[in-house]
Amino acid sequence: MEFSPLANPLATVAQLETSNSQFDGLPADLEKSIRFAGARLTQAAGILLRLPQEVIAQAILIFMRYWLGPEAGSLHHDPADVVSAASIYLAAKTSAYQKSARSVINVYAFLDSIPTTYTDLSQLPEGVPYVSESTYTTRKRRLFSVEVEVLESIGFQITFTLPYTLCFTYLQALDAFTYPRGQHLARRAMAHLNTGLLSPQFLYLTHQPHALAVAAIYLAAREVGVKLPGVEWWEVFDVDREELGFLVVGFLSVGTFAAEEKKYWGTRKVPMTVAELDEELDVRRVSSGNASLEVDAPQNSSTGVSQSGSPVGEC
Amino acid sequence: MSQMATPVAQPKKGLNRHFVGCSKITDYEMLQKLGEGTFGEVHKARHRYTREVFALKKILMHNEKDGFPITALREIKLLKMLSHDNVLRLQEMAVERPKAEGRKRAILYMVTPYMDHDLSGLLDNPDVHFSEAQIKCYMLQLFKGLRYLHDNHILHRDMKAANLLINNKGRLQIADFGLARHYDEPVPQRGKGNGEARRDYTSLVVTRWYRPPELLLQLRKYTPAIDMWGAGCVFGEMFKRKPILAGQSDLHQLQIIFVLVGSPNTQTMPGWESLPGAEPVHSWQQSPGELSERFRELNPIGLSLLRDLLKLDWRKRINAIDAIEHPYFKTEPLPMREEDIPHFADSHELDRRNARGQKQALPPAPAGGTVGGGPNGQYTGAGPPPSGAHWPNVERGRHGPQDRGPPGAERRGPAGPYDRRSGGYEHRPAAARYGGRGGGPDRGPPGEGRYPAHPPRYGGIDRGPRHLDQYVPSYRDGDARRSRDPEERPRGERRGSHESGHSREGHRDRDDRQDRNRAYRDRDRPGDSRPFGRDRRDGRTRSRSPERRDRNRDRDRDVYRR
Repeated sequence: MEFSPLANPLATVAQLETSNSQFDGLPADLEKSIRFAGARLTQAAGILLRLPQEVIAQAILIFMRYWLGPEAGSLHHDPADVVSAASIYLAAKTSAYQKSARSVINVYAFLDSIPTTYTDLSQLPEGVPYVSESTYTTRKRRLFSVEVEVLESIGFQITFTLPYTLCFTYLQALDAFTYPRGQHLARRAMAHLNTGLLSPQFLYLTHQPHALAVAAIYLAAREVGVKLPGVEWWEVFDVDREELGFLVVGFLSVGTFAAEEKKYWGTRKVPMTVAELDEELDVRRVSSGNASLEVDAPQNSSTGVSQSGSPVGEC
Repeated sequence: MSQMATPVAQPKKGLNRHFVGCSKITDYEMLQKLGEGTFGEVHKARHRYTREVFALKKILMHNEKDGFPITALREIKLLKMLSHDNVLRLQEMAVERPKAEGRKRAILYMVTPYMDHDLSGLLDNPDVHFSEAQIKCYMLQLFKGLRYLHDNHILHRDMKAANLLINNKGRLQIADFGLARHYDEPVPQRGKGNGEARRDYTSLVVTRWYRPPELLLQLRKYTPAIDMWGAGCVFGEMFKRKPILAGQSDLHQLQIIFVLVGSPNTQTMPGWESLPGAEPVHSWQQSPGELSERFRELNPIGLSLLRDLLKLDWRKRINAIDAIEHPYFKTEPLPMREEDIPHFADSHELDRRNARGQKQALPPAPAGGTVGGGPNGQYTGAGPPPSGAHWPNVERGRHGPQDRGPPGAERRGPAGPYDRRSGGYEHRPAAARYGGRGGGPDRGPPGEGRYPAHPPRYGGIDRGPRHLDQYVPSYRDGDARRSRDPEERPRGERRGSHESGHSREGHRDRDDRQDRNRAYRDRDRPGDSRPFGRDRRDGRTRSRSPERRDRNRDRDRDVYRR
């Protein structure tokens, strides 16, 4: 009767294959870019809010899940930055580290003031932009309304089992800490788990935590050069070779994807607000000679998300 | 550019993107309202497709200060994480979208299985008799639920009979996790009591009548032992059919606790003197405790379990693991099997009867009052506590309980119930109070009212004369709304109980009563938070509908006049 606390409800094919943004005519690649940037934004905000990584991970997963939900507004209605703020506000609210709406809004105002999405950390702007009381009130109202939308969209599933502790337990089970580089190995594995959070393939929403933990260990061991048992040890943890292989590729592809994104966007900003999004769509329309919106997109590693490609003619 | 938002493929949306987890309210047929309160209404509803019956709890969003109510969020989160036979399951959430244009705020409901009864309702029902085997069955289920919660680092923090739901299959489930929270400490271990906590938690938890002494003394590093105390109160309540420790203020609560189980000393409650709320206790009369006298209906083993649960020392209070293994559950009569528990009167049947006979529940003591003597004069703890477990019939009621703030004019609403208490407490010879329920002149109509014509018997013992102190009226309204802190929200359930008061003992003059009625009608009854299918008293509306109540009252009045 008691369910496994180690499992998460996973996204279904139907949830993955379409999105409301695509129904709204947003190019799939742009949607993917925005989601990725939004996840990074959430991570950054979490760090600035001094939240533990566990809470940040919950927030990123709430953010990721939001776009898969039935009611999820498209990016046209719900700008990614507000959804990101609502996600982190929610994740913090249910954790032991509640953050006030004011702190969240201030942090997002600061992040918004950074002119480039893929920015050099040494060139961060100085000081925090001032958020006036009226702006604050407006933004707070927006935050709260999006908060409820997020809750609905994710079916109120606000908790996720994260693979971090499992990963650690597995490392112990593998006697990894007896190796001289055991700690390094653990650190790499954790790093991969953090990277996986940002995956445009929604690795955390399509795979159970134990599989993620095993894949992170496998990958980290290869990188660090720690020799794990020669046998198929992952089977002990209920992961088969196929899933392991898929996840390893998935983890690795995040880096590639990020590099492509950085190159594509350069010093520009990934559109997070509705206004920025419209601007971006305009730019694309112009550069493609008003033919279609699917232009100039970086060819990312496939996620299986079909491009809806519905041309938006009139405007 | 905003027209871009007009989706090209809009029609596909509804078709393709419908996933389980959060459904539309239109999937449910609303059947009847089960109750309403500060944090929402509860409806009974049938799912249109599965035909299953659920209880839908509406989440009210008054407090915009922090967005979605944290208590609701906590409860949802916890319920989603939990899965145990003795913990109420959260089926899903349902959304009601206002039909109006634009993005109006949606109304959200928590969908849980419909449970036929809540324990306090059952205990109020004069037709329901619990055998000891049945009590054991329920207690065992309660302990299993608590063991599961505590083992999963969860403190319920609002243990009480009204939060224990029971269905006609003999299943008991713990409900209402609005005050529950994660417990950051090591979980209780077999044979080792409830351990100690290292960090502080808010002490504004647990409905007063079920609040353990350490919380009343403002221990902030509390442990799962607080839930075990509540379980002990529930255990006693199953025999007494009413809350066993119905204090009128936090201080009074502490007094009657010490009267019942004995005054604290360095043996029974090490460290009590250093607790912030300990100061007034020093001046109280020493009490040896009267648990065994008050619970004569319990056999020695049962009494030892009760003693273990109502232990003053929170470190030594029995934990749920050990309670399950207590010899009480291994001696005759053995706990009944769930499936052998008799079906109680069908709810509708019950409801109707109650509508007539106003099976009223006792009012809850709202949580979150301040502790300590009030500035307004009534009992401040100076001097010995009133003798026995009951208050002397002084004019206390007029002032309201001390922790509810001054009885200011701004609280016109609560005046009614407050007053009624004086009705209940004063002016009545002790004999009437004691014998009332046995058929004294002040009883309500025969066969109706809260107390059966024949005092319920447990194991052949007539417990009649030992009931004391039952009609503590409700005084939650008004205050309910005031408290903004979710932790402080009155945990009032089971309102409406005050009516039962007059069925047996109100004989104050009529005008007075009418005033009270008016006061009652005038107030908009905010405090009633009774989630999940409690109190299904009436086929149509709830017994707590003011009109009905007034009708009952009128009828009763006629009876008295006769």
